[in-house]
Amino acid sequence: MSVVKMENVTKNYNVGKLEVPALRGLTFSIEKGDFAAIAGPSGSGKTTLLNLFGCLDKPSGGKVFIEDHDIIKLSPDELADVRNNHIGFIFQNFNLIPVLSAFENVEFPLILLKKHSAKQRKELVMKMLADVGIADLAGRRPTEMSGGQQQRVAIARALVKNPDYVLADEPTANLDSRTGEGILSLMKEMNSKLQMTFIFSTHDPRVMAHAKRLITLRDGEIEADERA
Amino acid sequence: MLIKLAFRNIFRNYRRTFFTFLAITIGLTLLVLMDSLLHGMEMDTFQKIISLETGHLRIYSKGYKEDIDNLPLELAFDPTALLNTLHADPLVKGAVPRVNFRIMLSDSVNELPALGMAIDPLADDQVFELQKNLAKGTWLTADDDGMLIGNELAKDFNVNVGDTLTLLTRTKFSTYQAIDLKIKGIIQSYDTEIDNNSVILPLALAQRSLDLGSEVSDISIRLKDQGQIDQLKKRYNSEFKDFETWAWQDIAENVIALTQTKSKGSKLMIFCVMIIALIGITNTILMSVFERTREIGMMAAFGLKRRQIVALFVLEGSMIGLLGSASACLLAFLLIYFWAVPIGWDFGWMLKDMGSFGYRSYYMTGVWNPGMFLEAFLLGVIVSALTSIYPARLAAKLEPTEALRRY
Repeated sequence: MSVVKMENVTKNYNVGKLEVPALRGLTFSIEKGDFAAIAGPSGSGKTTLLNLFGCLDKPSGGKVFIEDHDIIKLSPDELADVRNNHIGFIFQNFNLIPVLSAFENVEFPLILLKKHSAKQRKELVMKMLADVGIADLAGRRPTEMSGGQQQRVAIARALVKNPDYVLADEPTANLDSRTGEGILSLMKEMNSKLQMTFIFSTHDPRVMAHAKRLITLRDGEIEADERA
Repeated sequence: MLIKLAFRNIFRNYRRTFFTFLAITIGLTLLVLMDSLLHGMEMDTFQKIISLETGHLRIYSKGYKEDIDNLPLELAFDPTALLNTLHADPLVKGAVPRVNFRIMLSDSVNELPALGMAIDPLADDQVFELQKNLAKGTWLTADDDGMLIGNELAKDFNVNVGDTLTLLTRTKFSTYQAIDLKIKGIIQSYDTEIDNNSVILPLALAQRSLDLGSEVSDISIRLKDQGQIDQLKKRYNSEFKDFETWAWQDIAENVIALTQTKSKGSKLMIFCVMIIALIGITNTILMSVFERTREIGMMAAFGLKRRQIVALFVLEGSMIGLLGSASACLLAFLLIYFWAVPIGWDFGWMLKDMGSFGYRSYYMTGVWNPGMFLEAFLLGVIVSALTSIYPARLAAKLEPTEALRRY
């Protein structure tokens, strides 16, 4: 079962008077439970593709379906709802809210979701923090945590609302190799344990080695789509 | 959640928040304090006009008020019958005659124009409070050959109790008259018209010197109940056909208009200062938006809608406004409670020529105006919220993809 599907998707950017193609007619889907890496050199279209998966941008042509929603037809508020209900995000720079504790950062998407009581939220957040191994850091603010710990909070934040899939933009790029390895193992564990779908972009061959599916882009086209 | 987030965000850059908060606090405190002092000075001015210059009502011969700037002695009248009627009126607390006339005051070297005010020394306190303001010397007697002089006028001539000055004036029949009078006392009333400009002498002496016989230029009336001014004015105007009765507001209409204009002008100036302070909110929130672009992108990615992003930043601006307004109200309360009301401010040294100043009083004391506290508080919060809208909308317009890329 596919969680996100693309049909002949193109994306062009205007640079001055020039129209620069970033994606050239991609057609493929991400299946439930995938642990997919999107690889490719700089400028190959990785970030553009992730933005479309994340409903952060709209394609110039073609269709992107997320749970039967064609995102090109959605208003900014409807796109925000789709992001809120279906997608989790992990960022390269963690992007935690510095004035909130780890607990509150993880609770943030649940509050936006407005589906849980305070008690339910507390239980979900504490369980997720325990799952990512930092339950004892729940009260700490991002500035009081290491990079690895912050990325664990970011993973917990992405997973806590049980999204259809999680997008991770180079999730280990700002971490040392050992910590990065730990984060990837954690993501993989969550993928196996919760059947959570992960789509992440990377340059790093070590990270690609962890992927169950490797989609390689070159010049805005799929060069290879391989399953491990 | 947004409220908690907004509250914590305003302390992220506490120095910037503090200075914005300080600007709002100072602006609003000044607004409330100036309102208290100006309102106090306005009320004090009106009170002084009533208690030292006009009483509640004044009766003149017909046509006098039209020519009041010249204080025409030819319209003087015998007050005896009117005074008897007024004294019999149960609504009247007191009624006294006065003669007002133009003089030149001279010490043989210098000459200054002044107002001659002839009073009945024994009855004047039925209506006026001049006697309470005697700073030096003694009060006049009915057959005195002396005078009282305003404190500032005495300073201008460098004279004191016991010294002599010459009054140059014209009689009812326009013949010149010069009278040498010894200063019996000095009045300090903090009323500029009295202190800077007036010479007070006994009625009998003035009537003799001005060829008035038993005539006076007006009768001033103090009522038992100030609320009946309009009613009695109307009644006296219909009963006393040869006379005209005016309320103190009619006589002092120019002063009232000038005072109120000045009061509004001063408040407008402070209001502008406050608006400038509130523009600081726009700057603070704008800086905050620029610094937190990536965070805004992240929140948008997680599903925070544009209106919620606007709400977050408007809340932050409003909270700084709320804190500034609350502290301004507290500070203004303390300043009014401990200083403006009980002590006040004598600013006579700052303004020597008070005659053109509008306000009669040059001693500012505050009065309580709870409405102004509420007005200032709401103004601070609402304008802070409004000035936050522009940067908040900028934040909401950011595309998440672009915002997440920025450093």
